[in-house]
Amino acid sequence: MMSVLAPLLALLAGAWLTAWLEPNWLGAGSERGPASPVKIAADVRLTQSDPWLYYAGPVIAFMGVSWAMVCIPFSPSLVGNDVNIGLFYFIVVVDFVVLGIALGGWGANTPASVEACYRTIAQLIAYVIPLGLAIIGPIMMARSLSTVNIVEAQANAQLWYLIPQPLGFALYVATGLIQTYRAPFLEPFAELLNRGVLGVFGGWKGLLWRLALSGVLFVVAAMGAVIFLGGYSGPLLPGPVWMVIKTVGLMALMVWLGRQARLLSTAEILMLSWKILIPVGLLNVLIVGGLILLGVGQEPFSPGADY
Amino acid sequence: MEVSPVLQWITFGIFAFISIAGALGMATTMSMFRSGIFLMASFIGVAGLFILLLADLLALLQIMMYIGGMLVMILFMLLFSGDPGGAMMSTHMRLRGPEWFFSLGLARSPQSKADGNKDDSSPDKGNHEEEGEKEGNHGNDDMSMFTPVKRAAALLSVGIGALLIALLLWRPHWAVVRQMPDQDSPRRIGHLLMDKYMLAFEGAGLLILLGIFGAVMLQRPGKHPDPTQREDLQAAVDAPPAPIKTDSPFETAEPDQETEK
Repeated sequence: MMSVLAPLLALLAGAWLTAWLEPNWLGAGSERGPASPVKIAADVRLTQSDPWLYYAGPVIAFMGVSWAMVCIPFSPSLVGNDVNIGLFYFIVVVDFVVLGIALGGWGANTPASVEACYRTIAQLIAYVIPLGLAIIGPIMMARSLSTVNIVEAQANAQLWYLIPQPLGFALYVATGLIQTYRAPFLEPFAELLNRGVLGVFGGWKGLLWRLALSGVLFVVAAMGAVIFLGGYSGPLLPGPVWMVIKTVGLMALMVWLGRQARLLSTAEILMLSWKILIPVGLLNVLIVGGLILLGVGQEPFSPGADY
Repeated sequence: MEVSPVLQWITFGIFAFISIAGALGMATTMSMFRSGIFLMASFIGVAGLFILLLADLLALLQIMMYIGGMLVMILFMLLFSGDPGGAMMSTHMRLRGPEWFFSLGLARSPQSKADGNKDDSSPDKGNHEEEGEKEGNHGNDDMSMFTPVKRAAALLSVGIGALLIALLLWRPHWAVVRQMPDQDSPRRIGHLLMDKYMLAFEGAGLLILLGIFGAVMLQRPGKHPDPTQREDLQAAVDAPPAPIKTDSPFETAEPDQETEK
């Protein structure tokens, strides 16, 4: 029971953290996308909606985020379930958010929301391959897909994977921003499209959307902290505190970096993905392979080293 | 991981229900989008069955393929089809059984109902029935969904399905293996792919790469366009569209009468 409740509570805390951090601390941009202040409007009554998909959308999106929370370790014991294919599970389960947005956008059946649905799916195509290439680097060094094992491998080697793989980290931040619909990539939630699905949902559905879209930034940043910043390992302070510090730091970094670029359209996001992110990802995999041959990040105590 | 047999049976029941109901919904709903989503739900149910068989990597691969791939497929399907929401079909047809159930809520909004009943005295008449009266073929359905061919195809598929199930049940002994499967299946699959079946794996990768190159080549505009062909295309684009022929008496009646006069 604890393993079910703890990720949910962490997710709620993370969603609150996002909602507090994004607008207040880092200043208000002209376009906020899903980071708009949490204000639950009255429920909207749509005349031409597809009722099944309209209600399924926010539920599926929130479900995906809360499932992704399960495999994030806050300490070796404070993890929902240490799945042995944790990282792969994570990137699969976060896709449910896109599915939820697509369902909600189509189900609401207003021109803006249907267009937001199309653009969301296009963004999915843009980020999936570079995200996989960014995540492969830490997997290659740690020789494991389990999130706890990856943190242990970094602690044993006394090396955050940020240091040997800066390219992979940059790639992860960029794809994380695309994945969470933050600043330069917020087209599906732009004012131009009537704020996408957020504009046509109110009541409990609006609340679930806010939770899911705030939570997804927290979840992505937490996973970035686990695979690139050493997770819960650190001196003096206890593990969960380190984990929270690193997660908040990464969230702030991502949001701040996102505000530095101009907003991109979906076509430009796809162009960026194919022309820059995927080649950089392939280059990163090549570099990491070379580093592993040189023995960087490898330690005799790292799990799976006997293979 | 130890799971009690009762829980295993309950989980199996849930996933089997999801996959069968999803398949049924996929085949019977009038909305293309819903159809794709039901197919996805069906495959996710199958992925749950994989997890129950301790093939977790396979299950996750299936979910990833079907969420990512099928969403894109649905997108193209929507762009190419005329009535992707199924609103027209579900309002023109009188639906029963699973078709009615899985098409619930498609274009049955209060707005369209009010419009449909504007010139009708009885408010409890359904929208689709009124449409049928307007077109003058109240008894038979005009969307050519209930044809004898369809019935024959349904009977044939039921027969083949029954035959397959009978063949499965006919086999007297299901082999029961006591051995637990490998817990670290991703490592095993990775070693198999990169060791034993490397040639096939790389071949598939090369084929996909060639496919991407082909798509990019087809997408590139030609450097030396044929001017005559281009003029023909432009003429075809500029030509006024041919009048649309419909079976409805109201839309074709007026031009026909004018030409007769």
